[in-house]
Amino acid sequence: MKFWQKIYLFSFIVFALIFNAASILVIERSHNKMLEQEINSALSQNMSIHSSVDAIVPILRIFDSLDYEKTVLTNIANEFVAKNNDQHTFLTIVNDENQSIFSNTTFQMPENREELDKLDVDEIKYVLRDIDKRTILFTSNITVINHKNYVFTYMKDVTSLYEGRVDQYRFFVQVDLAAALLYMVIMFFISRGLTKPIDQLNKTAQVIAQGGFSERVQLQSKDEIGVLARNFNDMASVVEDKINDLERNNQEKQRFIDNFTHELKTPLTSIIGYANFLRTTKYNEELYLDGLDVIYSESKRLESLSHKLMDLILLQGQHFQMREHDLEAIIAEIKPTLEMKAKEKQVAIVTDCVEGKLLLEKDLIKTMIFNLVDNALKASSEQQSITIRTSWHDNHYLLEVIDEGIGIAKEHQDKIFEPFYMADKARTKVNNGAGLGLSICQSVASLHHAVIEVASEENKGTTIRVLFNPMDQSRKLSDKRI
Amino acid sequence: MQKKILIVEDDIHISKIIKMNLNLVNYATTEVYDGLAALEIVKQEKFDLILLDVMIPKLDGFALMEKIQAYSIPVIFLTAKNSVYDKVNGLKLGADDYMVKPFEAIELLARIETVLRRYGKDERVIKFHNLQVDLDKREVIMQGKPIEMTPKEYDLLVVLLKNKNIALSREQFIDKVWGGDYYGETRTVDMHIKTLRKKLQLQEHIKTIYKIGYRLED
Repeated sequence: MKFWQKIYLFSFIVFALIFNAASILVIERSHNKMLEQEINSALSQNMSIHSSVDAIVPILRIFDSLDYEKTVLTNIANEFVAKNNDQHTFLTIVNDENQSIFSNTTFQMPENREELDKLDVDEIKYVLRDIDKRTILFTSNITVINHKNYVFTYMKDVTSLYEGRVDQYRFFVQVDLAAALLYMVIMFFISRGLTKPIDQLNKTAQVIAQGGFSERVQLQSKDEIGVLARNFNDMASVVEDKINDLERNNQEKQRFIDNFTHELKTPLTSIIGYANFLRTTKYNEELYLDGLDVIYSESKRLESLSHKLMDLILLQGQHFQMREHDLEAIIAEIKPTLEMKAKEKQVAIVTDCVEGKLLLEKDLIKTMIFNLVDNALKASSEQQSITIRTSWHDNHYLLEVIDEGIGIAKEHQDKIFEPFYMADKARTKVNNGAGLGLSICQSVASLHHAVIEVASEENKGTTIRVLFNPMDQSRKLSDKRI
Repeated sequence: MQKKILIVEDDIHISKIIKMNLNLVNYATTEVYDGLAALEIVKQEKFDLILLDVMIPKLDGFALMEKIQAYSIPVIFLTAKNSVYDKVNGLKLGADDYMVKPFEAIELLARIETVLRRYGKDERVIKFHNLQVDLDKREVIMQGKPIEMTPKEYDLLVVLLKNKNIALSREQFIDKVWGGDYYGETRTVDMHIKTLRKKLQLQEHIKTIYKIGYRLED
């Protein structure tokens, strides 16, 4: 059963029970009150007959005649009946011998009158009886006149009371039906309205479960469901971000694997191909030397790839001992080597450095600078220069490697730090690169809690910036020690 | 008629080794090193088959494949990628086969031949010196006279002819002639080679190659 149906059904059941019980209680109570009043008035009427008879008992004692008594009692009764001359009161007087002295009843008196059993003098008993579709209140007492007992029974027809009650109930049923109908209609809309946001949440959850992670619940209410919806949306956002992260990560990994297999299998294909060719075909000196040359150079390429991969793997899983070094001094130290490399291509190395004492792993920093300059060299042509510049900005130490080379196209700039990413495959292959250099730089930078970024314009040159934060460095390192 | 094969491969060494292998068995080859150049040359010349690398500059193999579908030239993809997705993608685009690097020359030749046969472009009659082999009739004619051969001798001869100038090992012969589940001795190959040399006067042409096996030379 649906939630709104439950609300609807249970609230209706509760309403029906309470409304009916309360109404029945009210009707019964008012009926009982009226009945009680009728009984009291009947009793007091009976009392008044009794007292008027009592008043004439002394006179009756003087005459002590049965007939006289009878006449007097009949007179009193007649007088009484005349006084209450409406149709609903009756009086009977019966003597010791069960002879009726007076009766104005319009119905057959019942045979069995249990109220008369053990009726004492000066006692009034009453009973309600249904006779011929009428309900009649009997009140009886005994009056002693000249040692004779007379039973006075005063009766009142209270049928109208019961009819009134039935009438009330009839009216109540009509009201009850109308109220229930109205309640059903109103409650239907209320319960539907209240649970509608839940349906909405439900639908959104289903959409999300089926992979529509960008779906959100549109609910503005401030009640608990509104809060739930907001929390739900927050949760969905977090999940969406996580999924996107995972997807991006996955794609990066897939790209890495694709590129890695490509880099690995290309030289292998050449090596296997040439080795097999030389092995299985007729000897031809020129082909033989060519083939060996390819096998040699491609093996070298594999070797360089494996070295760089090892570097990358080492960088990822290791804890390095950081010591305070002056980066300016390190650059000065490796400058001759860099210049020698650049000389082959007739490129000048310019340094413009300031002292910078940082927590560094010296060999890694050297590797990074070598790689950055190597990349710059590959992009440069003859007579250009490469500038290595360091400077302080507030509390940050900035290392820049600037070339005047061919630059990197915008679409490649955010990916060049990925392993094996090559903006121009053909050119990189000529230079014997595998696209790992900048990944290694990236890893070295993050080991030093430095940020590495690229600024480049095609055909104008590229600047790679490494931003060191000495405060951050020492804080993170001390964190690690704890 | 020599079959023309276009090699689209950006790695010059790989391109060259493929070319050398194909030339050995009498295919004519043209090499191009990027997708756009391949597209250009396909528009101008007629090729019997294209060997297409997936990761090539300017226009990658899948994109090129889509552009040249109209020419209905058989294509064999050459790639380092070997994920199921790439295979399915390549074959869905209408490639005829898919070779994952690194591969062996003999394997490549076999695949090329299979694809060409599917297109009805393979030679059904192979000529070699004074021999003529009709593949449909399984008939060997030497100097105009049919030669009686056992099925295995015939199969072995065809393998030798199809891999002319390339040495094959005894294991490779067994694999190609007797099938992969043959567990007999490799000496069987020597026996059959000996018979072939004698029957078909190929003593000069079937060379024993030290440490490898045998090679049929022109």
